[in-house]
Amino acid sequence: MRIRSRKAIYGLAAGVAAVSLALSGCTASSDTPVASTSPSAATQGDDPENAALTYWYWGESDAPGANDWMKARIADYQTAHPGVTINFVEQSTDTLIGAFSTTAQTKSGPDIATQWATIPVLSQAWAGAIAPISDYVPASETDNWIGTQENTDKGKIWGVPLYVIGIPLAYNKDLFTKAGIANGPTTFDELISDCGALKAAGISPVGMGNKDGYFGAWFFSNFGKQQLDDVSELKSAIVGTNNIADPKYTGFYQAMYDMKQKGCLNDDIGSVTLDQGMAKFEQGKAAMAWGTDGLVTKWSKALGADKIGVVKTPVWGTGKLASVYNTTQSSTAFITSWSQHPKAAAQFLTFLHSPENQASWYAATGIFPADTRFDQTAIQTDLAKQLWAFDSSPGAVWLENYLPPSVDGDGDLAAGQVITSGGSVADAVSTFQKAVEKWRATNTDEVKNYTAWAGQ
Amino acid sequence: MTDPALVRSSAAAPWGAAADERVRPAGARKRRRQLWSYLFVVPAVLGMGFGFVFPLVTVVRNSFYAGSFYKLSFVGFDNYRFIFGDDVFIRSLTNNFRLLLTVPFMTIVALLVAVILNDGIRGWKVYRSSIFLPYILPAAGIGLTFSVFLQFNGGLNTFLRSVGLSSIAADWLGSQTWAIWSVGGVVVWQQLGFGVVVFLAALLSLPPEVTEAARIDGASWWQLQTKIHVPQIRTAIEFFMVTEAITVLSWVFTYVYVLTLGGPGNSSSVMEFYIWKNGFAQGSVGLANAAAVVVLLIASVLIAIYLRLRARPDAGARL
Amino acid sequence: MKISGLASIPRHVLLAILTVASLAPLIFMVLTSVKSPDEYEQNPAGLPHTVTFSNYVHALVDLPTLTWALNSLLVTVISVAISTVAGAMAAYAISFGTFRGRTPLLMGSIAAIMVPPVVLVVPMFVTMVNLKLINNLGSVILFYSCLLIPFSIFFLYNFFRTVPSELVEAAVVDGAGPLRTLWSVVMPLAKPALVTVGVVNAIWAWNELLIALVFLQDERSRTLMAGLTLLQGRYVTNQPLVLAVATLSILPVAAFYLLSQRAFVRGLTAGIGK
Repeated sequence: MRIRSRKAIYGLAAGVAAVSLALSGCTASSDTPVASTSPSAATQGDDPENAALTYWYWGESDAPGANDWMKARIADYQTAHPGVTINFVEQSTDTLIGAFSTTAQTKSGPDIATQWATIPVLSQAWAGAIAPISDYVPASETDNWIGTQENTDKGKIWGVPLYVIGIPLAYNKDLFTKAGIANGPTTFDELISDCGALKAAGISPVGMGNKDGYFGAWFFSNFGKQQLDDVSELKSAIVGTNNIADPKYTGFYQAMYDMKQKGCLNDDIGSVTLDQGMAKFEQGKAAMAWGTDGLVTKWSKALGADKIGVVKTPVWGTGKLASVYNTTQSSTAFITSWSQHPKAAAQFLTFLHSPENQASWYAATGIFPADTRFDQTAIQTDLAKQLWAFDSSPGAVWLENYLPPSVDGDGDLAAGQVITSGGSVADAVSTFQKAVEKWRATNTDEVKNYTAWAGQ
Repeated sequence: MTDPALVRSSAAAPWGAAADERVRPAGARKRRRQLWSYLFVVPAVLGMGFGFVFPLVTVVRNSFYAGSFYKLSFVGFDNYRFIFGDDVFIRSLTNNFRLLLTVPFMTIVALLVAVILNDGIRGWKVYRSSIFLPYILPAAGIGLTFSVFLQFNGGLNTFLRSVGLSSIAADWLGSQTWAIWSVGGVVVWQQLGFGVVVFLAALLSLPPEVTEAARIDGASWWQLQTKIHVPQIRTAIEFFMVTEAITVLSWVFTYVYVLTLGGPGNSSSVMEFYIWKNGFAQGSVGLANAAAVVVLLIASVLIAIYLRLRARPDAGARL
Repeated sequence: MKISGLASIPRHVLLAILTVASLAPLIFMVLTSVKSPDEYEQNPAGLPHTVTFSNYVHALVDLPTLTWALNSLLVTVISVAISTVAGAMAAYAISFGTFRGRTPLLMGSIAAIMVPPVVLVVPMFVTMVNLKLINNLGSVILFYSCLLIPFSIFFLYNFFRTVPSELVEAAVVDGAGPLRTLWSVVMPLAKPALVTVGVVNAIWAWNELLIALVFLQDERSRTLMAGLTLLQGRYVTNQPLVLAVATLSILPVAAFYLLSQRAFVRGLTAGIGK
């Protein structure tokens, strides 16, 4: 019986081997690229007035109200262009990069998609997933857009900025008064001492969430830049010319660690997501939170506009970037390379920049449109004026945009979680460093493109 | 977990090549090979060739290549070298082995419950139904519920604090120490009932004479269980342990994806999650394939043990 | 063996603890799903002060929950049907036919049952892309059908070999072909086994996440499980809503279980007893 079953296994093995050989032949041929859509094929039948478009949209987390606004614009557009239908598909924050990367491998999917600005967009452009918007929209239009430099490479603009946001630190004036603090913190030491005063008064100082890693990602952008004089220094550390483990680049984890140790952060920061953590501020349960312009506007409606103050991220480092702000377009809309209707898509995206749409966007979200033609007289509240002053301050940069997606995921997000879940600074730094090394070792093409781009 | 292998393996009646030969009438083997037999197995063979053999061969072959799905270049053993030097992969591998510790735990608890239920305790069917219910529910829905339930200020801890147990209200999902054990806890929560049902069925099928004789000889309850009952359902126990080992080593993706997304700081990543993340979210297909081959090798060892158990002469008699 | 009154108390305590532990998360899920987000914030663990079904209305009206459920149903029914037919034919041939490769096919089926799908999913993804089936329910149906065949063969073979061969031979003598014999002699006898295979496979298909997540990226083509995990990231500040959808995803399975419990447990343990 033993022998019989062994025979059976040999038989099975032989059968498997035979089928495999036959099928390996198939695989070899299936590894060749799926016929990449040549420009001529793509534009064939590309009638801007006659198209069915799918739009993978993300924005609500930055700008509460964004989904409804976009759906209304799509409805407007479909009424004005009866031959065009646009299928709105909302994307989740935690799968924004992963879902698009997967679909990009299939060279099929949405006509218009959303990724975060700079490297998340450019890496897709390098991988051949994006049709540059500057091929379809004239410079006379794109010149009005704010932030196109965030997605420019190889002489092309790859995506459309729709809004600009900054991320100030908001504080609850009532709770601050209760703890005997007059103003929002401007330096890191003040931040720490304010935390102490708030805690002493029985108030939870900061409400943030890091289950998804985004508190850490924001912290990287806000504090990671503070020892730098220029973003190019970070780029060099990413490609390996400089050492990413040097405190210049990753020393800010000490600051995060201090915040955690000193009790600045909510006790459940590790098990709630960023949005859940920030909601504590909106509910008046935490005295401070970082938030986008849109979130701050929303909170001001919940708490009362006079109850909420905003400051720039407190100064911790000594680099030239320590005191510059963090404005970015955040998310970028772009046309996919496989879209059969790039002209129709470009026409719709340009439509979103019309004066009426800018006005309705601002009214809906409290976030400034990414367009120099935006009518600034619409900015009326003190809070909005303050945010506008921050956002339009010179030299602003959002550091996370310069990280390759896998470094962001494996390094930036994970390293912040190491700290908020009770790990050491050294562990966080090594997590970040290993993610960078992994990227350099395994993403050969992206490294080549990144290096070329960084050298510009 | 709701994977089929478990349900299936135990659901299945005994099979062994030997038993098979016994059942077949001798004359049948002399019959000419029939064309219809070949036609009848064609759909199944095609399906299994397409769904198993082809991807298995491809994954092994592609584990020596790197690049994106469509631009692969041969790199030899580089992918393997890389993953075994990658902290995240090592962490994932160790986490799978940590989860292996849930197997003896589940086995012991399930055995205990099964022998108690086997005594005909009042309401045993209700207990059995309730304890078994989690096993068939979708892991995604379960995991989601637990991801809310286990938050630091979520349902479980709020309850613990309200009854004065705040000292054990840990940050179940938000701490690097606890996250993987919380995943293990949810696995136990879902799988335990399966063990109970499997063991109970085996116990119920034991011939009552032996129990009777032992009792006449004056065996205590404890002796009766450890000397008579448990040894007789040894095969069922072995099957359960092997199938659960395969589960925790290679069928826990859903829990990790929904509960922790591998965090915090990659501390609760498992091999499946590593494969998914590298293959689909980050486009490191070569690493995903190499990691898949590692999973396959580990699973193969367990599958081989499983096949040996199935082929054992007494498998037919007892299981 | 009769239990003395005293000894049974700790046993009941143990069983009661396990029962509560088994049901508590489910009760938490249902209770949370009928709270408003605000109430959940204030009162995550207790009974709801006011019961609201607005989360369910939201889930069914504003979210594609019903579309996803329908997709899941289609995927489940079709792949179970395909795999059962293919499995039954092969199992019949193994039981009553003679052909080269009989034993390897059976051994292969048993081994294949245990192969983790994660090992197969990367190559299958590329294949589905090449077949242009991504975002098409067909991709999931095709792959599920293949994955469910080995168990169907294995389980049905075990049943078929208990069918007396005289019955089959009598049918053959009467001039029935193998298909006729299978259909009108063996299948009616195998009804309980077919039900078991169907139930076990259906629950697997309904619950599967990884493959659905990877193959179906378009929102409207998702299955319920894949759609559910999507909501987790999207409605992070409205957990009652997410748990309402979770409840809806679990409900059919739980109802199915409670209705067919006897057949279910019997099926699951069919071979272990005798």
